[in-house]
Amino acid sequence: MTDTVHLEAHATGHDAASHHHEPTGWRRWVYSTNHKDIGVMYLIFAIFTGIIGGLLSGVMRLELQEPGIQIFHGLASMVYGLGSPEAGLDAGKHMYNVFTTAHALVMVFFVVMPATMGGFANYFAPLMIGAPDTAFPRINNIAFWLLPPAFLLLMMSLFFPGGGGANELGAGTGWTIYPPLSTNGHPGPAMDFVILSLHVAGISSILGAINLITTIFNMRAPGMTLHKMPLFAWSVLVTAFLLLLALPVLAGAITMLLTDRNFGTSFFQPDEGGDPILFQHLFWFFGHPEVYIMILPGFGIISHIVSTFSRKPIFGYMAMAYAMVAIGFVGFVVWAHHMYTTGLSLDVQRYFVAATMVIAVPTGVKIFSWIATMWGGSISFKTPMLWAIGFIFLFTVGGVTGVVLANAAADRVLHDTYYVVAHFHYVLSLGAVFSIFAGWYYWYPKMFGWMYSEFLGKLHFWVMFIGVNLIFFPQHFLGLAGMPRRYIDYPDAFGLWNRVSSIGYYITFVAMIIFFYAMWDAARKKRPAGDNPWGVGATTLEWTLSSPPPFHQFTTLPQIHSTNAH
Amino acid sequence: MKFLQGFMVTGHFLRKMGAVSAAALAAAPALAAAQEQPIHFAEPGQYHLQHSVTPIMDSIVTFHDGLLMWSVSFIVALVLVLLLWIAWRYNAKRNPAPAAFTHNTLVEIIWTVLPIVVLIIIAIPSFGVLSDQLTTPDGERKYLGTNIFSFGEVEVPAAELTVKVTGQQWYWDYEYVDQGKLFTSVMLQEADREAVKPNQPRLLAVDNELVVPVDTTVRLQITSDPTGVIHAFAVPSFGVLIDAVPGRLNETWFNARETGIYYGQCRELCGKDHAFMPIAVRVVTKQEFAAFMAAFESGDYTAANATLAAVQ
Amino acid sequence: MADLVKNHDYHMVEPSPWPFVMSVAVFILAVGGIFWMHQWTPWVFFIGLVGVLYTMYAWWSDVIKEANGGDHTPVVQMHHRYGMLLFITSEIMVFFGFFWAYFDGFFRLDDVEQYARVAATGGVWPPMGVELFDPFHLPLFNTLLLLTSGTTVTWAHHALLEGDRQGLKWGLWLTVLLGAVFTCVQALEYSEAGFGFAGNMYGATFFMATGLHGFHVLVGTIFLAVCLYRAYRGDFTPERHLGFEFAAWYWHFVDVVWLFLFASIYIWGSWGVALHH
Ligand code: HEA
Ligand code: HEA
Ligand code: CUA
Ligand SMILES: [Cu+2]
Repeated sequence: MTDTVHLEAHATGHDAASHHHEPTGWRRWVYSTNHKDIGVMYLIFAIFTGIIGGLLSGVMRLELQEPGIQIFHGLASMVYGLGSPEAGLDAGKHMYNVFTTAHALVMVFFVVMPATMGGFANYFAPLMIGAPDTAFPRINNIAFWLLPPAFLLLMMSLFFPGGGGANELGAGTGWTIYPPLSTNGHPGPAMDFVILSLHVAGISSILGAINLITTIFNMRAPGMTLHKMPLFAWSVLVTAFLLLLALPVLAGAITMLLTDRNFGTSFFQPDEGGDPILFQHLFWFFGHPEVYIMILPGFGIISHIVSTFSRKPIFGYMAMAYAMVAIGFVGFVVWAHHMYTTGLSLDVQRYFVAATMVIAVPTGVKIFSWIATMWGGSISFKTPMLWAIGFIFLFTVGGVTGVVLANAAADRVLHDTYYVVAHFHYVLSLGAVFSIFAGWYYWYPKMFGWMYSEFLGKLHFWVMFIGVNLIFFPQHFLGLAGMPRRYIDYPDAFGLWNRVSSIGYYITFVAMIIFFYAMWDAARKKRPAGDNPWGVGATTLEWTLSSPPPFHQFTTLPQIHSTNAH
Repeated sequence: MKFLQGFMVTGHFLRKMGAVSAAALAAAPALAAAQEQPIHFAEPGQYHLQHSVTPIMDSIVTFHDGLLMWSVSFIVALVLVLLLWIAWRYNAKRNPAPAAFTHNTLVEIIWTVLPIVVLIIIAIPSFGVLSDQLTTPDGERKYLGTNIFSFGEVEVPAAELTVKVTGQQWYWDYEYVDQGKLFTSVMLQEADREAVKPNQPRLLAVDNELVVPVDTTVRLQITSDPTGVIHAFAVPSFGVLIDAVPGRLNETWFNARETGIYYGQCRELCGKDHAFMPIAVRVVTKQEFAAFMAAFESGDYTAANATLAAVQ
Repeated sequence: MADLVKNHDYHMVEPSPWPFVMSVAVFILAVGGIFWMHQWTPWVFFIGLVGVLYTMYAWWSDVIKEANGGDHTPVVQMHHRYGMLLFITSEIMVFFGFFWAYFDGFFRLDDVEQYARVAATGGVWPPMGVELFDPFHLPLFNTLLLLTSGTTVTWAHHALLEGDRQGLKWGLWLTVLLGAVFTCVQALEYSEAGFGFAGNMYGATFFMATGLHGFHVLVGTIFLAVCLYRAYRGDFTPERHLGFEFAAWYWHFVDVVWLFLFASIYIWGSWGVALHH
């Protein structure tokens, strides 16, 4: 935790590192058994996939900017070499669904999860608990190296036949891959590529989770009890358990999908005794914990940033830690709030309404504790802090619309509209992604030893803040007014807010250019960052090491004496 | 209870404001058309729920606009104000020496209990409205309508008409179950719409509307082609949304109090033409419906439709 | 990095090619699986499979070498215990998903709204026309086999702890044999099944759940056989025998899953139903 920590002999880590042989060249990365190198590979991977996921959503926003079909019929006729855009119309309609599906799967499995549980957790959880590496360095490496093949499988799916009609390449099922659309509706191999991509990404996450849980349970430095452990490590621990318990259920569900598709089984085939709704239960039993998998590490990151830049210890450390545990637990028993309109009985819907709303309570505890951490602090608004405060506000907006949706009575009109799209982008694109940028700016100097331009960082924040709000706030209006999601074209009445939303995307695009420029600028100018650029507020162990830390840190384990009882 | 009524009154007021400003935004030709043949869908630029014509949608609108919106806006405003205050009061310039406290049991209890209270206040009408939605009227049961904190005060007659709806890729089949009369409803392509129903909205106009009588409880049975995919039947103005699942028969109901054409759209991703299988329900007077059905039973849909004023 | 100075007991693992090679093999396996399922060619799949199996062999050989070389200090052994337990936990969740599918059919057999299911199954479970196994014939025999194998592996464990190498070998030999017989009996049972994997919900859930279990028996048997080989080689000591311990854990896990399958699918699922002999 963020209490005062005394270190003995941490400097030896630095010295020892320079003496012994470090792997060099490509082997250092490809054969890596070093948690920091693996963490960096994850982060670079996430930035790369983030560009792809962001561009996919850009084409979608371009399409949705005006009523009518503007982009995809032309795109499709280009891809298939058809004579005219009109000839590409059917293929184009399918292609829109393919883009939506790919956008979501890329963002969820190949951007947010690799960035948080891959990158930051790998790099900083061991540093924060005073460990020299993770428990299973080779497993750690394969967890990373399974991702590029998984991503490749997903990208390959775009180029194989998917839908039933001619020229329908790729899987256009939405990221929820509900049968029978993903079985009878998608006879081509594209769907199998998606399924196996998820299998491989899932195995990667399970292995990563086993590694991180073991590391956190077994490798804390002497004196670092669980109740003294920094909140980011707590968030990683809880998230890893969610991964461990939720992903195998998805693996089982998509295995059944695979056999239904290829071996004639009938798990989800109603005319042979199966049940399509069964898939939805299994998917959301994974899917709901999955959304907390995407946000909990962010909660951890935000806690440190808020405390660091307020120069004040975390308020209510125990409540903060156990709120995450509570969110994790309750997260497993609320899944059917995604299924209110499938024909669930009254009692079942009542239960899921009540259970879902309960999660607002521990989440509120976190929001208010962050506020209380800042309260009375001496706040400097450095770039990471801006992202953190932005996160707190925008996540609240996304969270409370979740509570609206939790009421099945209201979900009756909002389900599968843009209201839901607005809700989950506020918690994801403005929540999880903001926490990723917060973490990136917070730890960038530590990871690379350079300082970025504070001006560019802040500019990136403000432009992006305006951009994403402009994209997603009007989508609440669209949803209330009844615009369904996953539509390539919409009645003219929805034109206004869609136009605003697309303009928001262009602003966000500019923000991303600023981000890449800021990174290029930082890498070029190489302003030395120093061991701890953030001053006395930064109390966790990583700030006691050099920037970047030695190849092997803590060759003598640090001793933790907490002088501050909470 | 007084302050709750306050919520509702404001909710109603806001909705009226919304309607007025939306009407102002609406294009004039659409308005003219609306006079002869009321079309019920979103207005251009609409930012609130659609116009309600059933007791269920009344409850949803009251619940959302009158209670949910206020609760969540209050929470967001609270968080925003706290953040702004902190930024102003506790920035490093104004407050160079940070405090060191890490606990305050009282405020921690408050911010745990207060959300619970808010959630309970939300849950009470939430459960009531939910029960209404999922209980087909038997003639005895009273429904909440706009008074979501009551025990039910709106009478709804038992169902008199049953319609079976089957989702297809990508159109809807309708069947008047008791009469055994079937027909299919397909979206009009642009050229056809401009030729036949120029006043109906693009992507919403269909060849054959589902015709039902006003002030009558209609039971809907929803399913999908057994070898097809999942669709979802939605009519926002009725507060109706239910999935059409292959091999499963779902049930819901509505009782519309205003005549006119009400539009909805398929709400579950069903393939490439998901965006192009709208739902159009035409609510007519009881007399008109009787004539329509008599003609349908002795002939076909086209003959029956001819008994009604033409949709343009 | 033999010259790494470290003052702690953790194992700083050397860089290794296997994770990367494995991921390439997995990719080939996945693509090959798709090619095969879409009737193109099975060969890519087999190339991937060979790659995966070879990498497993190479990787675990390294682990065994490190263990024999003394890298597995008590704390590192503790890591491995945690790792194995967590891995088994994730496996339990896979079975959880398949049991869920089974119970969806089992409990929701006659929901009137699910008319297609009711039409297909007659509203009963097991579905109309599906003839079940008598749980008290081959399945009971297999249950007894597995339970016995649970005791023989415990015998081997105790023998190992007491330094009785002969007992260890005997116990392992018996366990491996019992596992192999189980697999054969299961194959026999499958060959006599009155229903197929394809075309009906019962067969799908039955073969998926018992088939995945059967696969685990196979893996467990191989795992135990490797331990037997290592026992002959003399790798295990009363103090250090993690590999053996994990094989035993895994075997018990497989055993317990079978008990759940036996109780819920074979016995409960055939309660009061005409049986296939
Ligand atoms: C990071 C991801 C994330 C997070 C954190 C959440 C958080 C929540 N979500 Fe969301 N959700 C998604 C991602 C996420 N969701 C996604 C991706 C979908 C769509 C999937 C798809 O269909 O494709 C979805 C869909 C979704 C639905 C289904 C809608 C539909 O399809 O019709 C519902 C319904 O209950 C829901 C509810 C909630 C709730 C109650 C929370 C809660 O956890 C929120 C809690 C937080 C707060 C409430 C704010 C802070 C609290 C306070 C300040 C205290 C006071 C508050 C009160 C008293 C209210 N979500
Ligand atoms: C984390 C998840 C995530 C993120 C970040 C986003 C980001 C965006 N999304 Fe997406 N979206 C989903 C998850 C996400 N989305 C999901 C699950 C769906 C549902 C799909 C379905 O229906 O099946 C969806 C659907 C969806 C739709 C609805 C489509 C439809 O229903 O027809 C739209 C439409 O506007 C949209 C737009 C956008 C836009 C403009 C952004 C922009 O914000 C993008 C701009 C942002 C960036 C370019 C930054 C990203 C870069 C990084 C995060 C890398 C940073 C990494 C480091 C620093 C290490 N998304
Ligand atoms: Cu039919 Cu979507
Ligand atoms: Cu959820």
